[in-house]
Amino acid sequence: MIRRPYLAMFLILPAVTVVIFAMLIPLGYGLVMSLFDYKIGSETSATFVFLKNYVRFLQDPLAIKSLVITLAFTGLALSLELLLGVGMAVLLRSIPERWARILGAFYSMPLLVSPIIVGLIWRYMYDPTFGVVYYVLSWFGLDSVFGGLEKPGWALFSVAIADVWETTPFVLIVASAGLANIPKELYEAARIDGANALYSLMRITLPLLKKVLLVVIIIRGTDAFRVFDIIYALTGGGPGNSTLSLSIYAFQKGFDQYEMGYAMTISIMTMAALVVVFAPLMKKSYGRSL
Amino acid sequence: MKHPKNLDFKKWLVNLLKIIALALFLLWTIGPILLVILTSLKNQKDIFTVPPTFIFRLTLDNYSRALVAGDFARYFVNSAFVALVSSLLSVGLGTFCAYALVSLRVRFASLIAQLFLLGKLVPAITMLLPLFALLNMVGLLGTFVGPILAHTAINLPFVIWLIMGFIRDLPEDLEAAALVDGCTAMQAFWKIVVPLVLPGLAASMILSAQFSWNELVFALQLTNLDTYTLPVGISKFVGSISVDWGKSSAAATLTMVPMIIIGCFIQKYIAKGTTGGAVKG
Repeated sequence: MIRRPYLAMFLILPAVTVVIFAMLIPLGYGLVMSLFDYKIGSETSATFVFLKNYVRFLQDPLAIKSLVITLAFTGLALSLELLLGVGMAVLLRSIPERWARILGAFYSMPLLVSPIIVGLIWRYMYDPTFGVVYYVLSWFGLDSVFGGLEKPGWALFSVAIADVWETTPFVLIVASAGLANIPKELYEAARIDGANALYSLMRITLPLLKKVLLVVIIIRGTDAFRVFDIIYALTGGGPGNSTLSLSIYAFQKGFDQYEMGYAMTISIMTMAALVVVFAPLMKKSYGRSL
Repeated sequence: MKHPKNLDFKKWLVNLLKIIALALFLLWTIGPILLVILTSLKNQKDIFTVPPTFIFRLTLDNYSRALVAGDFARYFVNSAFVALVSSLLSVGLGTFCAYALVSLRVRFASLIAQLFLLGKLVPAITMLLPLFALLNMVGLLGTFVGPILAHTAINLPFVIWLIMGFIRDLPEDLEAAALVDGCTAMQAFWKIVVPLVLPGLAASMILSAQFSWNELVFALQLTNLDTYTLPVGISKFVGSISVDWGKSSAAATLTMVPMIIIGCFIQKYIAKGTTGGAVKG
């Protein structure tokens, strides 16, 4: 540890500059322009409407609907991913390490695939005429019940399943790393004391995994709340706006309907909602790790 | 043990259930990937058979259509360029920053590090809309500047946190000894710190390149026909009413296989990397 304030500033500045140009200036600009009513490219003829866009957001049934859809998607995807990811991590921990490592490598593959390709793959599999999902469901006679991406009541669920496919490996990897840090002696001791597997899971594994799970919930939760790519690729927000997330809604308003001012308002409200939900969790998890 | 036979059976049953669960999850994770690779090698007729056939005439027709007629060769080069430049930038700038924050006793170091982390809370769309408008004003829309700038800014926080973790794990005496021996702070950085955190640099380089390679939203809106990246090219297929499954599967395979191969080498850094060092792998 040495003090070299000028050198330190010189080393920190470039990174800060990039963040200022790519993040802070756009954010400030977006905040200001959300107070205007204008279309792309006609900034000069923008009319100042102050908070009208924000009032409009609160009164816009579609905006409220997309907020609810975003929350529902986040809750559904996150809980399925946690259940499946942590479950598989516990299972992997109980088999010989060599096998666990090989299987783990295969299990993490979906994470390496671009979300737009995940969308492409799942659209192929959800196709009503030749999709493999309907084929598998037909073994159980469920193919006529399942609505896939076509029916409003099913589309959000189907999109969430594709998201679960893509990101459960992330939960699995992080949970495995967390599990690896729990000393095996604890389980030995519990077993000698006559505890069964369920007791060990509830009293040792999950409590000691709490910190790691918090990190997973923050990272995965914020990602799910911002969901764009996979919906864009699978449904584009349809059918009947049933998969319209906040990000998709803002994108459509801005780039399809050219209402830039309102689009920025929606995107800023998205960020505000995100901060309200996740900032306290973040403070709890990262605040003390320095 | 009172009933060894009974216990044996129970153990056998548990193991069987475990194997079934592990095998089903394996099928669930790699099945879709294999399906798209197989589809890319089928002709138009075999693509639409239900259930998907595993016996078919191999054809590379889809690849030639994607690469030659579909401009995918160009998107490939564009993607590689954007990924390379933005990951070099984020690892380069991020390493300097991390070193200063950990080793140079900066005032407010922890505050600065946490401010970087706040960047993770900004939704892509909140950054994209104004960035689009601003780049449009200065005439840089459609160039590589947009995606490179956005990808670098998004990768910087996690790179800084990951490398800070690596530097913090180094024995402190090492740097101190170098300084006592008359090294300047920068010499200590180049001769001691960089060689020792090389695995960390490689891991963050790969993780940021991978993010950039796969990223869609920024590339979609900030590029034009000449600067499209692979995900954007694929999204143009997916977006159309009738999808050319053969061609898009070939493009998807070309895009994802390099990442899957590279990903196998950085297995152990994924946990640390994706959580900004909050979870040790």
